[in-house]
Amino acid sequence: MTAHKDGLPKDKAEMTMMLHALVDGELDAATALAVERRIAADPELAAEHARIAALRVAVNRLPKPQPSKAFLDRIQAIGGADAHQALQPSVLPFRTSSSHSRTERSLRSWSARSATFDWRALAASIAITAVVASGATQWAMTGGSDDFAAAVASGHRRSLLAANPVDVVSSDRHTVKPWLDGRLGMSPPAPDLAKDGFALVGGRVEVVDGQPIPALVYRHNEHLITLVAQPRNGGEASSPVDRSADGFSMVSWSDRAFAYWAITDMERSGLDEFVTRFRAAAAI
Amino acid sequence: MPHLGDALALARWLTGSAADAEDVVQEACMKAYAGIGGYAGGNARAWLLTIVRNASYTWLARNRSREVVAVGDLNDLDDMSAGHRDHSPDDDGPEANLIAKADLAALEDAIAALPEPFRETLVLRDINGLSYREIAAMLDVPIGTVMSRLARARGQLMSDLGRAR
Repeated sequence: MTAHKDGLPKDKAEMTMMLHALVDGELDAATALAVERRIAADPELAAEHARIAALRVAVNRLPKPQPSKAFLDRIQAIGGADAHQALQPSVLPFRTSSSHSRTERSLRSWSARSATFDWRALAASIAITAVVASGATQWAMTGGSDDFAAAVASGHRRSLLAANPVDVVSSDRHTVKPWLDGRLGMSPPAPDLAKDGFALVGGRVEVVDGQPIPALVYRHNEHLITLVAQPRNGGEASSPVDRSADGFSMVSWSDRAFAYWAITDMERSGLDEFVTRFRAAAAI
Repeated sequence: MPHLGDALALARWLTGSAADAEDVVQEACMKAYAGIGGYAGGNARAWLLTIVRNASYTWLARNRSREVVAVGDLNDLDDMSAGHRDHSPDDDGPEANLIAKADLAALEDAIAALPEPFRETLVLRDINGLSYREIAAMLDVPIGTVMSRLARARGQLMSDLGRAR
């Protein structure tokens, strides 16, 4: 077998798992592309891929249980009229702070669990390749900020293509910050701006020129905002500078600890509001 | 009522009986309703399925003898596979179109015969449609374990369906 430089597993069983992950839509765009190239070049992988896809087809043909009227009535009776609504996600109105039930704790542990994300390391190595290939490698701590901006922009675009824009999913900054700390030994401020309309979605690690850098992801309506925080060693704080280009709004600024780069596909005014809110909350 | 079909499907595959599944889901819905204040946002369907899964195992422990509940492990699957691993490793195995047209009863039997951790992972992914992350969180195992269980469960099914030709 010829040596592959696409960062995918060499081990056959692990490569098979990548085929399953591809069929399941669990791979980000770059990794999926790399796996598809392998499939195209390897009839054995192609046959296995076809079998996995065929099994999905067969399983989808299995009859789905339809709740009987009598059963529905039994369920409806459980909570009176509001039980029906209670299970609708859209009308779940509350996050009670008083009750930390077992369920809630198990939900919290979800985010921690997703830190063990095997092929993310692979995806990251592919991301390095992509950044190297795109020539966005001139980034340095001083100067070259346009290239850094280009890398941040491509990271944001990539995240929009990926199945999931974040590696740790949590609206709780007490989950996101420790996750980033565990990965990188540092984490930027991650204020909860949900009341201002900017909900924390999670965090991920961006790789720019081989350097892992923390990134936070916020959501505003249907738009995602990626906030990359490049650690710095002291230096003067700077005010927001517009770096918008190529249909993306981008603003950068810095404080003593980090240089921040916020990028989104929503309009500048919305991003400016986010930046203002974030800076105010982070300064506290 | 959203997600009720999913809840029934999971309970049906975990308990092995459609009638029992209704009892389990009813119990789970009561727990879900009682614990609704503990719902901390996120995927409501995954949250409900987590409760259904717990209720299924509680129900099994209470209503079934121990050997039926016996939790399978990797060795069980190795034993199962060993029985019909008669083709050489180079063999491509059953053709994809054979698998896609498999007899549904044979498929159901094959799923039911999977050891519990594999069956559970397969059902959560292929029937309930949860993501790897959601399954890993629910089962409290690393994502790599979800991936390997899924690959092995599907491998077993493909092998079973191919053998039935």
